[in-house]
Amino acid sequence: MSAAGLLLAAAPTFPLLLGASALWRGARAHLLRVLPVAPLPALAAALLAPGGSLVLAPDPLRLTLALDLPGALLLGGAGMLWSLAGLYAARYMAGARHRTSFTLWWLFTMAGTLGLFVVADLASFYLAFSLASLAAYGLVAQERNPEAERAARVYMVLALLGEAFLLMGFVLMAVGVADGNPMIAQALERLPASPWREAILALLILGFGLKMGLVPLHVWMPLAHPVAPMPASAVLSGIIVKAGIIGLIRFLPFEAGAEGWGTALVVLGLFTAYYAVAVGLAQRHPKVVLAYSTVSQMGVIAAVLGAGLAAGDPRTRTLAAYYALHHMLVKGALFLGTGLSAGQRNGWKRVVMAVLAFALAGLPLTSGMLAKYVVKDVFAPGPALWLVTLSAAGSAALMLHFLHRLAHAAEAKRAGPVLLASWLGVGAASLVAAWALFPVVTNTSAATLFSPATVWKASWPILIGVLLVLPPLRLADRVPHIPPGDVIVWAERLLPRLRRLAEDVERLDAFLRRWPVAALLLVLLMLLLGAALQLSA
Amino acid sequence: MSHVLPPAEGINLPGLLLVFAVLLPILGLIAMLGLRALHPERVARVVAPLGLLLACAILAEVWEGRSAIDYTLGGWAPPLGLKLRADGVSAVMLVLAALVIGAAALFSQHQFRTPPDAPGDTRAPFAFWSMLMAMWSALNLVFVGEDLFNFFVALELLTFSAVTLVCLDGRATTLHAALRYLLFALLGSVLYLLGVGLIYGRYGVLDLALLSELAQPGPITLAAVAMMTVGLMAKASLFPLHLWLPPAHAGAPPAASAVLSALVVKAPFFLILRLWFELLPAPYSPLAGQLLAALGAAAILMCSVVALGQSRLKLMIAYSTVAQIGYLFLVFTLTAGPAPFAGLGWTGGVLQLLSHALAKASMFLAAGLIAEDMGHDRIADFSGLARRQPLAIFAFGLAGLSLMGLPPSGGFVAKLMLLSAAAASGQWWIAAVILAGGVLAAGYVFRVIGAAMKDRDGEAAQPAATLPATGRHALVLALALLALALGFVPLQPLALFAIGRGELAQGQP
Repeated sequence: MSAAGLLLAAAPTFPLLLGASALWRGARAHLLRVLPVAPLPALAAALLAPGGSLVLAPDPLRLTLALDLPGALLLGGAGMLWSLAGLYAARYMAGARHRTSFTLWWLFTMAGTLGLFVVADLASFYLAFSLASLAAYGLVAQERNPEAERAARVYMVLALLGEAFLLMGFVLMAVGVADGNPMIAQALERLPASPWREAILALLILGFGLKMGLVPLHVWMPLAHPVAPMPASAVLSGIIVKAGIIGLIRFLPFEAGAEGWGTALVVLGLFTAYYAVAVGLAQRHPKVVLAYSTVSQMGVIAAVLGAGLAAGDPRTRTLAAYYALHHMLVKGALFLGTGLSAGQRNGWKRVVMAVLAFALAGLPLTSGMLAKYVVKDVFAPGPALWLVTLSAAGSAALMLHFLHRLAHAAEAKRAGPVLLASWLGVGAASLVAAWALFPVVTNTSAATLFSPATVWKASWPILIGVLLVLPPLRLADRVPHIPPGDVIVWAERLLPRLRRLAEDVERLDAFLRRWPVAALLLVLLMLLLGAALQLSA
Repeated sequence: MSHVLPPAEGINLPGLLLVFAVLLPILGLIAMLGLRALHPERVARVVAPLGLLLACAILAEVWEGRSAIDYTLGGWAPPLGLKLRADGVSAVMLVLAALVIGAAALFSQHQFRTPPDAPGDTRAPFAFWSMLMAMWSALNLVFVGEDLFNFFVALELLTFSAVTLVCLDGRATTLHAALRYLLFALLGSVLYLLGVGLIYGRYGVLDLALLSELAQPGPITLAAVAMMTVGLMAKASLFPLHLWLPPAHAGAPPAASAVLSALVVKAPFFLILRLWFELLPAPYSPLAGQLLAALGAAAILMCSVVALGQSRLKLMIAYSTVAQIGYLFLVFTLTAGPAPFAGLGWTGGVLQLLSHALAKASMFLAAGLIAEDMGHDRIADFSGLARRQPLAIFAFGLAGLSLMGLPPSGGFVAKLMLLSAAAASGQWWIAAVILAGGVLAAGYVFRVIGAAMKDRDGEAAQPAATLPATGRHALVLALALLALALGFVPLQPLALFAIGRGELAQGQP
C-alpha cells in the first residue's frame, strides 16, 4: 500500500471517522471546531498523490481509488473550500442551535464529495454520489423553518429522481458484464458498443445534469441557497453542484465522441446559461442572484463538455475541471463574503466583492479570465463559441445586479478576523490556484495571457454586460419580478392534484381490504393463475 | 466433500442438526411449560443463542460441503417416512430466523418479564415467550421441510402462534385485527390443503424431491399449484390479499411486529418459491410468472403510496412491509433461462428477503422504543424526537436506507441485481417499478425523519434531554447495521444461494 494510496483513502474516510466520533459525548462538543482540519488529507492528496491508486477491496468487490489530473484539480479546490468554509462555519455556527447535527451533515457531505473525486469504480462512485446528495439535505434543511423545509423537500425529490436515473444508467452499463462492478474506465470503453448506448447517455445526462442544475432541473438551487447558513450555501454552490460535473467528466465517452449528444448538451448548456441570467436579473435577494449565477455558470460548463463530446476531445476533461475549480473557489468566496459585506455601500470589502464577482465574467488577470481562455480551445469556431463568449456579458450584468442588491441588503453583522480571513483566503486561493495550474493544464506559459489582444477579448463582453444594467438601459429594473425557483411554482400547483391521487389510492386500498372484495379476489386470482399456468402446458 | 463434522459410524451428525433446529425451540417451550419456576424469559435467554449457534453450524456445514444436508427421520425414506433437507437458501433462512428471534427475545426481556411475586399476572409474558418458541420451531420446520403436508402443519403452527402474538394486549382493536388475520389465513390454509389433496390424489407422494421427478404438467398438477400458491399468497399478504396485515402488524407488541414482518410473511413466500422451482415442471408458464410479478409491482406502487399517507408510524411500517413483499414476487419473471439459480434475479430476490427482514425488524423495534418514549406513534407529533432519541432515529434511518435501496445496504445490492436482471431480460416495466418504489420509500422514510428533526414548539429555549442509550438501542442499531453489511455482498450471483440446487445451477462452484 503506497503512501499516495493511503492519502487517497484518507481523503473521504477522515471526515467519516470524525463524524463517527460524535458517538462519544466528549468528542461531540469539539467537533465543530475541527471542521477546518477534516479536509486536510484530501488537500494533501490533491497536492501529493496525483497518479496514485489504491485497491480498497479486491475482486469481486473491486472498490478502487485513483486520482487523475481532473480529479486532482477538483479534489484540491474542494479540499481548500471545505477547509476554509469550515473555519468560517466553526465561528459562524458557534452558539447556533442544532450545531451538532449541522456538523454531522457537514462532515458526511464532505466525505461524499471528496470521495467522489477519487473513486474509480461504478459502485463506489454511486455510493459517494448518494452520500453527498443525501447528506446535503441536512445542510439545506438546517434552519428548520417553513422555507427551509420547502427547499429541502424540493431538493430531496430532485436528488432522489437523479439517483434513480443514474442507478438505471449504471445498471445498463454493467449489465451482461461478468465482473459485477466494473471500473469506470472499463465501463466507458464498452459504452460505444452497448446496445443501450443512447439510453445510457440520456440517463447519465439527466442524472448529472440535475445535480448541476441544468434548466429545468435547476429549481432546487434558488430555493436552497438563501435558506441555508452562509457557509453551507458556499459549499452547496461551490462543491455539491460539482458532483454533476465530475460525473459528466468521468462518464461521457470523450474518446469515442458522440456528436448528437454533444450538440444536445451544448444547446441545453447555453440555454441554461442565458435563461439563468435572465431570471437572475429579476431577483431581489443577493443569495438568490448568486444561485442563478451558479446555474448560469453550470450551463457554460455543460456547453464546454458538450462541445468536447461532439468533437471527441479527451482534453475536455481537464479543461472543464479547471473551469469548475475556478467557479468553485470564486463562488465559495462570494457566498462567504455576502455574509460579511451585505449592506455596505463602500469600503475595501465592496471592492474585493466586485473583483470576485467580475471574475465570474472573466475579468482580466482573475481566475475567470484564465478559465474562459482555456475552455474556448474546445469549441470549433462557430455560433456556439460566440454564444459562450457573449455569455460573459450576461454574467457581468448579473454580477453588477448582485453587487447592487448586496449593497441594499440588510447590513451584515460585524465580521471578526477569522471570518474575514477565511473569506479572503478562498478568494486568494482562486487566484493562486488558477495561475499556478495554468501551465499544468495547458502546457503553455502563462505569459501569453498578457497580450493586449487577450485582455481585450476578455474585456469587451464585460463592458457590454455593464452597459446593459447601468442607465439608461437599466435592464434589471425592467424585468418583472419572478419568484425564486421560477418553474417550481407551476410544478407546485400540481401538488393538490397529486394529493388527490394519493387519496384515491388510499380509498382503493380501503375498498380492496373489505372482506367480500378480498375473498372474491382470492377466488379470482386462483382462477387466473390456474389459467395462466395451463396456457403453457 | 469435506464436512465440518465427521460422519460418525451409522449416525448422520450434520443431518441431526436439522432435527435439533426444529426441536430446540420445542424443548424450550416444554421447559417453560413444565418448570414454571424457571421464568420463561430466562429460558428464552438460553435457547436463543443456542439456536443461533445451531443455525450457524448448519450454514457452515452446507457451505463447507457445497451441498445440501439431508436427514431421513427414523431411517424411513420417503414416500413412507419424512425427510428434512437444508440447501444454501434454507440454511441462510435458519440463520436469519435465529437472528431476528434472538433480537426480539433480547428486546422483550424487560417488557415481558414474569412478575417477581407469584400473584402478578403471568399470562401475557408466558403467552409471549411460549408462542415465540412455537413460532420459531414452525419457521425452522418450513425452512428444512420436504413434505407438503408437513409444511401445512408448520404453517398452521405459525399462524396460530402469530395470531396469539397479535392480540397479546387483549384490546378490542387488536382482537379484531387478530381475528381478521386468523380467518383470512385459514382461508389460505384451506386452499393450500386442497392443493395438497389434489397432488396426493394424483401422485400418491408428498415429498418434494420425489414430486419434482414425478410431476407432469397436467391440469390437475397445475390447478393444485395454483390453489396452493394463492393460499400461500394470502398468508404472505401479497397485494391485493393484504387486508389483514396492516392492522395486525401495527397492533402487535414491537418485538412481535418485528418477527411477523421479518419472518412470518416470508415463510409462505419461501414455500411458493419451492413449489414453483421444484414441484412445477420447468419451465413454468411465463404468463403465470408475469401475473405474480404484476401483483408484486402493484403492491410496490400502491402500498408505498398508502404508506406515504399514514399518520401512524407502525401502520406506515406495516404498509411498507406489504410494498416490500411485492419486490419478492418480481423474482418469478426474473429467473428465466436454463440456470435460474445462477442468475442475478435469484440472488437479488433472496437478498431482498434477507435485507428487508433485518431492516424491518430494526424499524419495528425502533418504533417500539419511540412509542414507549412518546406514548404515541403519531408521526405529525414527533417534533423533538431526534434530540430525545438520536440513536433510535439513526437506526430507523439506516434501516430506511435498505428499504429505499440506497448504498451501502443490502436493499441496494438486491435492487441493483433485480434491476440488472430486469434490464438483461428487457422487462423495462419492472425496472421502472423498482426505481419508482425506491423514490416512494425514500418519501415515507424521510417524512418520519423530517418530523423527528423538527423542534417542539415553545421548547426552543430548553432543549429536550437526550435519553440515555440502552442495550435495546444497541440491538436496534445492530440489526440495521446487519442490513447495511449485506450491502458488501459482491454484485454477482452468489454461489451460496445455489447450493443444493446444483443440477440446475451451472458454472458455479
